[in-house]
Amino acid sequence: MVALTRTLSPALAGERLGAVLMAGLLGLGLLFVSGFAPTVALHNAAHDWRHTHNFPCH
Amino acid sequence: MTIRLLSAALVAGFLAACVASGLQLALTSPLIREAETYETQSALPAPGGHAALRANPLIVQAHAGHGGGDEWQPAAGLPRLAFTALATLVSGVGYALLLGAALVASGRGISAGEALRFGIGGFLAASLAPAIGLPPELPGIEAAALESRQFWWVATAAATAAGLGLIALRRTPVAVAAGIVLIAAPQVWGAPPAPDSVSLLPAATAAKFAARSLAIAFVFWAVLGLGFGWAWNAVARGRAAPGVGSA
Repeated sequence: MVALTRTLSPALAGERLGAVLMAGLLGLGLLFVSGFAPTVALHNAAHDWRHTHNFPCH
Repeated sequence: MTIRLLSAALVAGFLAACVASGLQLALTSPLIREAETYETQSALPAPGGHAALRANPLIVQAHAGHGGGDEWQPAAGLPRLAFTALATLVSGVGYALLLGAALVASGRGISAGEALRFGIGGFLAASLAPAIGLPPELPGIEAAALESRQFWWVATAAATAAGLGLIALRRTPVAVAAGIVLIAAPQVWGAPPAPDSVSLLPAATAAKFAARSLAIAFVFWAVLGLGFGWAWNAVARGRAAPGVGSA
């Protein structure tokens, strides 16, 4: 967390930092569900997407 | 700002998913279905061959799941296409959120052109760099254990994105050198090697799939970037003039 705020631009504080963290975490969560989640039903539902966009798949 | 970022990401993800879903429907889904006919053939116990398949329990397990077990999977035809489109939408919004987070964190003015540059960076980091070590594969082609490939994929995408960021945004000699090292490191380390195996799948089909997959990824990222830049500014205009409505 400390390292992250240091590498971002100095003006990044308050609302901007909150927006960046929220969007980043939400984005990673969505990508985990569609691209990496090992649950069989999720894998099968997203199967063709995973192959086409080169996520490692079975 | 949070609402503006989320709104722009939703719009960009939706636009990119519409374009990518159409392209996938026309270009890659037919090849995946074709490959699955070979996969069911090669899943039958073949005399002699497939030593790697037997040696690696992960591969056997996963392929057994494809053979039509009890696990739920979307029905062939429209449901399957719909779930593929849904997965594309979920991922499109996910990637758009990361793209938006990177743009806002960079502290630069967000125009469609700037967002397109970041989108092309996203293509290089999340599509092209991992594809150097792990080329896009059709179902039925043997590969290393899933976890090791997923780890290398994530590490490569993250290192490439960080390296590109250092090169494009910092631009000092030290940052450029560190960026090049970050981009090269996962490729020098190398992706988990695929076991030697024989597939009935025609090589031309596999090659066509890899090329089409990367082409679709490029269009996807370009639309994602342009769409995000456009929507980011459209949301602001919509707020300034409430009668116009927001994007």
